[in-house]
Amino acid sequence: MADTAPATTTSPTSGVVSRPVSEALLNEKWDRCFSNLIIKSSLGLGFGVVFSVLLFKRRAWPAFVGVGFGAGRAYEECNSSLKQAAKEIRKQA
Amino acid sequence: MLRTSIRSVRALGSRPAAAVAGRQWQASAARRAVVSGQRFYADDKKPLVDEARLPAAETLTAPTTPPPPPPQTTPAATITPEQAPLTPPAPGPAVVPPPPPPVAPIVPKKKGFFRRLRNFLLKLVLLGVLGFGGGVWYSRINDNFHDFFTQYVPYGEEAVLYLEELDFRKRFPNVANRVTGRRADTASEQVSIPAQSGASWRVADGDHAGRQSSGVAQKVVAAKDAVKDTVKDIVKPEPAAVTKAKKETAALPKVEAKDAALEKKVKGVEEKKEEVAVIPAAATSSKPKEFRAPDVNEPSVWPPASPIDPLSVPHADDAIVQQLVHMLNDIITVINYDGAADKYSQTIWKAKDEVSKVGERILSIKSAAEEEAAKQVKARIDSFDKHANDLVSRLEAIMLAQEQQWRQEFEAEVERLKHNYDDKIKLIQEREQKLSEQKLQNKLLEQAVELQRQFSRDIKKHVEEEREGRLGRIESLSRAVSELEKLTTGLNEVVDTNLRTQQLHVAVEAVRASLEDAHHPRPFIKELVALKEIAADDPVVDAAIASIHPSAYQRGISTSAELIDRFRRVAAEVRKASLLPEDAGVASHASSYLLSKVMFKKQGLAAGDDVESILTRTQTFLEEGDLDNAAREMNTLGGWAKTLSRDWLSEVRKVLEVQQALDVITTEARLQSLKVE
Repeated sequence: MADTAPATTTSPTSGVVSRPVSEALLNEKWDRCFSNLIIKSSLGLGFGVVFSVLLFKRRAWPAFVGVGFGAGRAYEECNSSLKQAAKEIRKQA
Repeated sequence: MLRTSIRSVRALGSRPAAAVAGRQWQASAARRAVVSGQRFYADDKKPLVDEARLPAAETLTAPTTPPPPPPQTTPAATITPEQAPLTPPAPGPAVVPPPPPPVAPIVPKKKGFFRRLRNFLLKLVLLGVLGFGGGVWYSRINDNFHDFFTQYVPYGEEAVLYLEELDFRKRFPNVANRVTGRRADTASEQVSIPAQSGASWRVADGDHAGRQSSGVAQKVVAAKDAVKDTVKDIVKPEPAAVTKAKKETAALPKVEAKDAALEKKVKGVEEKKEEVAVIPAAATSSKPKEFRAPDVNEPSVWPPASPIDPLSVPHADDAIVQQLVHMLNDIITVINYDGAADKYSQTIWKAKDEVSKVGERILSIKSAAEEEAAKQVKARIDSFDKHANDLVSRLEAIMLAQEQQWRQEFEAEVERLKHNYDDKIKLIQEREQKLSEQKLQNKLLEQAVELQRQFSRDIKKHVEEEREGRLGRIESLSRAVSELEKLTTGLNEVVDTNLRTQQLHVAVEAVRASLEDAHHPRPFIKELVALKEIAADDPVVDAAIASIHPSAYQRGISTSAELIDRFRRVAAEVRKASLLPEDAGVASHASSYLLSKVMFKKQGLAAGDDVESILTRTQTFLEEGDLDNAAREMNTLGGWAKTLSRDWLSEVRKVLEVQQALDVITTEARLQSLKVE
């Protein structure tokens, strides 16, 4: 989980360098969300596999649980970023 | 007591006795009888009623016959409150019907049973009769029970009515007779008048007979009154004579008063009036006690002698005579009051004569004195007249003489004055003539001088005019030359400004060309700088250039084709976000994205405020080349849609600003050229 933080911070810096056109704002957010989802779910899967091998005698469910945690986390972040953006828009208006 | 009285009042006041039908009246009367009790046993009165049958032997004037005793009208309750039952007795026995039950047909075989049946029947009948009788009796006492009894018990009403009627007839045989007699047509029955109700001269005892309150009795009373009146008339004539005499005495002083008024002596009249006032008073007060004609049974008496008349003297205007008369009249009134007129009448007559004689003598003396005085007055008046006439004639003569003298003096004076004034007028006229001649000569001289002066002035003027005309021409020439010089310089300026405006036009055209023919955005800063230099410091041009955003001329502005192309991209993105709610999360974004793919697209100038129609309209405007309206439409978007289209909008705005600035500068240039012309 700790590895996700630098990933999220690096992408906005690239955005700042070349400021995206306004119509691409939403698309960029979606891209980030998807990448986030992939990274976090894969991380969760990894943790799950390790746990299942180490602790649960190679059962399947710890892996699934890990994936679920990762995906859920990604979803939540995406959601919060979108809402933040909506709030900013409302403030501007 | 209270109860019975109230009941009696109710019984009396409930129905007017005369107006109700006979049967009912009887019933009510009977009830009243019940109320007032058994005091009226008519047995005592029967002899009185018998007596009332017109006794022929009795005389009208017999005073010894005693008045009939007043009828006893004090009603007393026969039922004391102690005796009156508080509650009506149970109607049980009364209700039991008299007809015996049909038990008879059952014939018993035993003797004992037969006897028992008979006994039972007997008891039953006895009880029934007793109960009925009791009910009838109690219904006479209690009103409520009466109503109940008469209504519910068979034959009850008849029995009670019969009993009441019987009772009523016992109490009022007269009324009962009359009421029943009317039905039975007892016209032959004679009307009886009691002895005391006949015609009599007595007044006081009249209404004893009428107490029975029957119509017959009232009629009798009326008849009695009539008779009494006739008797009075017979008795009257004797006192009438007395009153007549009294009236005459009262009239006498009135006549006297009239005479006095004719004489018109104010004082005398006033005093006389007093006297007159006194005399009638005396007359009325001296009236003896009312003479009553003796009654038939009294011994006859002579009427007393008429009183002495008070004295009255004609022409009694003298104070002394008046006093005398007054005194005498006082004496007369005293005598009259005493009733001793018979005794003193002779003396008084003599005194009266004396007084009248004295009065006459005084009158004669007075008239003699008056005649003498009149004679003296006449003589005086004559002498006065004569003297007055003398005086008047003398005065007139003196006045005439004076008047003549004054007139002569006046005429002489007038003559002298006239002469004086004539002299003065002549002198003045001569002087006036001299003065006027002198004045005329002066005027002539003045005119001559004036004419000479005018002539010299005219000549001078002519000379001056000639000279000034030439000088004026030279001056106008020089002025024309100077104007020509100015014109040439102005022309130079015009040419200069013309050049400048042309340059301005060219510069503007250059800027426009550089904007239009570029396929890519290109900075036009050079053209703008040139324009600014050419415009020197025209404030309008400066302001227009300042209004353009610096980034516009540094980077250049996008062409319309580019704008349209970019709009297509922007529109696609905006459509994706067109269905987003206010506070949208991932799920709503995803759903908006999916649903926007399914949405129908509109065409042309679609109406509505939703994102899709706004986009359609903007596209239409863009296709028409109306950038301004397109920008306006896009500006109405809100939320995510606005955020997404922000960059495009700013781009369009820049283009619009530049276009506006160029328009302004062109207009300014045209204005300048117009000014020059």
